[in-house]
Amino acid sequence: MAIETLLIVNKSGGLIYHRNFGEACEKRKKLTSNDYLIIASTLHSILAISGQITPRALKLNQDDIDYTIPYVPGVGMPSSDSSNNSKMSKLGSFKGDDYFKESFTSWNKSGLRQLSTDQFTMFVYQTLTGLKFIAISSSVLPKNNEMETSKNLNLANQIGDNFLRKIYCIYSDYVMKDPLYSLEMPIKSENFDKKVQEMVYNVQ
Amino acid sequence: MSSSAGQQQIKTLKVLGEDVWKNKVEKINSELFTLTYGTIVSQLCQDYDRDFEKINDELYKMGYNIGVRIIEDFLARTALPRCTDFNTTSEVISKVAFKVFLNLTPTIANWSQSNDAFSLIISDNPLSDFVELPIDAMKSLWYSNVYCGVLKGALEMVQLDCDVSFVSDILRGDNQTELRIKLNKVLKDEIPVIED
Amino acid sequence: MQQQQQPSNITRRHDPSHPHHHHQLTEEQQQFQLFQESLPKINRLVYQMLLNEIIPTSISVQNRLDESDDNSDAEQLKKLSISEKPVVPSHKLVSQMHEIKNEGRYNNILERIRTIGFKLGCKIADLLVFANNPNLNFRDMDLLAIMKFVCRDVWKLVFGKQIDNLKTNHRGTFYLIDYSYQPIKNFALNDDTNKLSAEELEKKELKSVEPFLELPVGIIKGVLEALGYNAKETICLATYIDLPNEDASHYGFSKGISFHVQVTNTTRQQQP
Repeated sequence: MAIETLLIVNKSGGLIYHRNFGEACEKRKKLTSNDYLIIASTLHSILAISGQITPRALKLNQDDIDYTIPYVPGVGMPSSDSSNNSKMSKLGSFKGDDYFKESFTSWNKSGLRQLSTDQFTMFVYQTLTGLKFIAISSSVLPKNNEMETSKNLNLANQIGDNFLRKIYCIYSDYVMKDPLYSLEMPIKSENFDKKVQEMVYNVQ
Repeated sequence: MSSSAGQQQIKTLKVLGEDVWKNKVEKINSELFTLTYGTIVSQLCQDYDRDFEKINDELYKMGYNIGVRIIEDFLARTALPRCTDFNTTSEVISKVAFKVFLNLTPTIANWSQSNDAFSLIISDNPLSDFVELPIDAMKSLWYSNVYCGVLKGALEMVQLDCDVSFVSDILRGDNQTELRIKLNKVLKDEIPVIED
Repeated sequence: MQQQQQPSNITRRHDPSHPHHHHQLTEEQQQFQLFQESLPKINRLVYQMLLNEIIPTSISVQNRLDESDDNSDAEQLKKLSISEKPVVPSHKLVSQMHEIKNEGRYNNILERIRTIGFKLGCKIADLLVFANNPNLNFRDMDLLAIMKFVCRDVWKLVFGKQIDNLKTNHRGTFYLIDYSYQPIKNFALNDDTNKLSAEELEKKELKSVEPFLELPVGIIKGVLEALGYNAKETICLATYIDLPNEDASHYGFSKGISFHVQVTNTTRQQQP
């Protein structure tokens, strides 16, 4: 799954991080940083609105829906032929060879989770503290028959959620442990950048 | 929520807390923590000339600033879903949060009538290991007040406005160390609009 | 400073608990390790955050002390007010340091941080002495051995890693070099005003991080004091140094730290 863009939006709708990767760097050059700010606040509003217009049927059946996201092994992790030593120290304060290895419950119960178009797919991961992690991927899901499509969508969604939760883990490591960092302000940590780039690269 | 489902959930939280503690965090000897905190408190006593109200306040503020950050680590690491009721919140705090960060599992007790307040009884508090308070401090200092700040800050970040304070402390000669958490309100406006 | 010999480079010895250490552990060493493992533990992250929070707290204390000095009537009024003042976030406190024009205030804050570090250093030395580590023989230690102790055992305990490089002229001058000083590893200052050049931002960042270095300075002095080297006869200063040219991303913060320690009286005052 090729990630083109990563956006992090804070709880008030402000953009605190955006980065384009790979080919998107060229494609998106026409967008100014102001454009990105607008994208962020628009997304913030859309996410809020979509939460309100969730179909009633879905809301009524909430207890029956399984919001578990299974753990998809290896998302964003270096391939197994890289030396073990370089893997170990790479996960900051997270011991072990991956940020997490269990399935987890999605915090996103009635809002927008994924947006598929014929140009890109967008994944949204929202935390309890109001942070939104948004990944835009150039992978487009082929539309065969309906069953195939929903299966593909589901898997893509799971990979997206796994990926974005790991970005959240990196965020908590780099940004939260920095007393110089103003909560709610743009993230300017080079280390955070590098780790994110690594993950995006690994997930191609 | 039926009580057997409740019991099951508590068990799951316990297992989660223990698993994260055992396998996913780097550990250090708590004595270092004890003596560092003790040094901080003693410096505050000197700076504020034993004005314990100011010292309590400073410890609280310190805890608050830690709490608003440490919650992100907690959530990223455990990905726990939002608690459906305050009861669950108490279990998460006791069996997961305290376990993952301090290897403690305080007992939950003294629920209020309206289920909006509970106490945590902390035994083996690492902060107060081998600490003895002088008499004037015993009357007014809440030695571990940093905990109150941490909980206040962390809960606020998940949209729970709570009052957190100590009720008793064995360092003050009381029978037990009891910390009380009272829910004032849920900050509904700030809940990310993805849940009801 | 007197004529220096070529400073000799003493890199760390193998950490005995490192899995690739060749020698078989003696029974004493094994017992010590087992004992250490059985001690109560807490999450390192909590400790790290507490340690770092010392700096904003020291600034907050200074603010409060200055407030009450400036106007004791206002202070009385404040005590009567019922409303709760919002807590000043850590990053605001830290950035205040950069704005302080009054040298006295600035130095008071640094002094406070250093003193906490000093008291901490004394206690850490006690802790490690009384741990009865069979690898450490404090009675026979000369100044160099004690500095090595600081580089290996003290640093490992508090910061989770050893000092990267120790240089000395064997006449009481030491340089302790840490290329990735752990507490500041993830620090990065963002430019709220969006008006600073990259150079100015770097300058501001380095200045903002300076107070954080007073803590280890104090710790070093405290350890030395506890082991017989009077603080009045010891100088310790921290400066930024450039990272060696290798893969810089490996290190974390943009600069390494060099702790310059100078001990004028190189003979130890034996403890009673």
